[in-house]
Amino acid sequence: MLYDLIIVGAGPAGVAAGIYASRKKIKTLMLTEAIGGQPVIASEINNFIGFKSISGIELKKIFEEHLRHQGGTDLKEGVGVSKIEKKDGIFFVSANGENFEAKTVLIASGSSPRRLNVLGEDKFAGKGVFYCSICDAPLMKDKAVAVVGGGNSGFYAVLDLLPYASKIYVLEYSDVLRADPIYREKARNSGKVEVFTMAAVKEISGNDFVSGLKYEDRKTNEIKELKLDGVFVEIGYSPNSAIGSGLVEINQAGKIIVNHQTQAASCEGVWAAGDVADVLYNQINIAIGDAVKAVLNINDYLNKK
Amino acid sequence: MVKIYTTQTCPYCVMAKDYFKSKGVQYEEVDVSASETAREELIKKSHQMGVPVIDANGAIIVGFNRTEIDKALGL
Repeated sequence: MLYDLIIVGAGPAGVAAGIYASRKKIKTLMLTEAIGGQPVIASEINNFIGFKSISGIELKKIFEEHLRHQGGTDLKEGVGVSKIEKKDGIFFVSANGENFEAKTVLIASGSSPRRLNVLGEDKFAGKGVFYCSICDAPLMKDKAVAVVGGGNSGFYAVLDLLPYASKIYVLEYSDVLRADPIYREKARNSGKVEVFTMAAVKEISGNDFVSGLKYEDRKTNEIKELKLDGVFVEIGYSPNSAIGSGLVEINQAGKIIVNHQTQAASCEGVWAAGDVADVLYNQINIAIGDAVKAVLNINDYLNKK
Repeated sequence: MVKIYTTQTCPYCVMAKDYFKSKGVQYEEVDVSASETAREELIKKSHQMGVPVIDANGAIIVGFNRTEIDKALGL
């Protein structure tokens, strides 16, 4: 079957696109690992307009309910898109060994936690190295942990860990913490948090599970070691743009370059929205707005053909 | 027999449980943050300590991986 539109991803951008595409009666297929996207792991969201405070998982449920209530789009969950190719004006999208065809594609594949790429990180993934603080913080009861990254994500992890960990080290590569003052203050008031700036993590060590971390103090070039049981990596996100490589232009940060009026990418028939696109600010509100923009423009494009 | 190891706050655990419910799969939930024995059981089975871990008739699945779950349960 030839679809009018294939939407890759079902985070805030993908869901918004699905709802708008359905309302425009665009014959649409959505392909996603799971509905919800990145916000799912947020313990609390306080800036999604219309909701004073909501958890990521609650927001996911509301999005999903709206999408399913709207209906009208085909939705395939549990699939990862591996490739998008264009042949004779038609897009061929491969996912889990299956091929799907469409006249247009909206890439809303979001981003994933960025890895440290240091010795021991892979070996100890799940064995003390974690990327989801809200999931795994309760496992760190009475343990010493490090949070790598001194931005908001890092301090969200600190807040998730405060009820459990006995000691929390925050390691920040630069000389300044970028986290909002409100979070830094909460961390400071706990008395459990120790911050090291200019700290470059070099190695995560242990036997079966993590027992230590080595970092370079970039002020003195000294290698220092911390004894601990857990490392939470919170150093930002990498866009999931590999599926667009060779098809659309991607900037140095790995984001898909789009026309900011329409969200159209460099290849005719491809649009991108949400954190995978080269937006300056990654926000749920913005991802949704950009996805809506994209679908309205896709609708115009399909009607003109 | 399907057993899911969780923590109270873990969103992917909620998603996995919702998935079981939607497919009519009966499961037993073990909160590993509540007991040391449960944590040891989780580590013994999965050789790691992140959650969720799903024991689907002996197939150990780390994380909410629908493809793996479907395969293990023939869904």
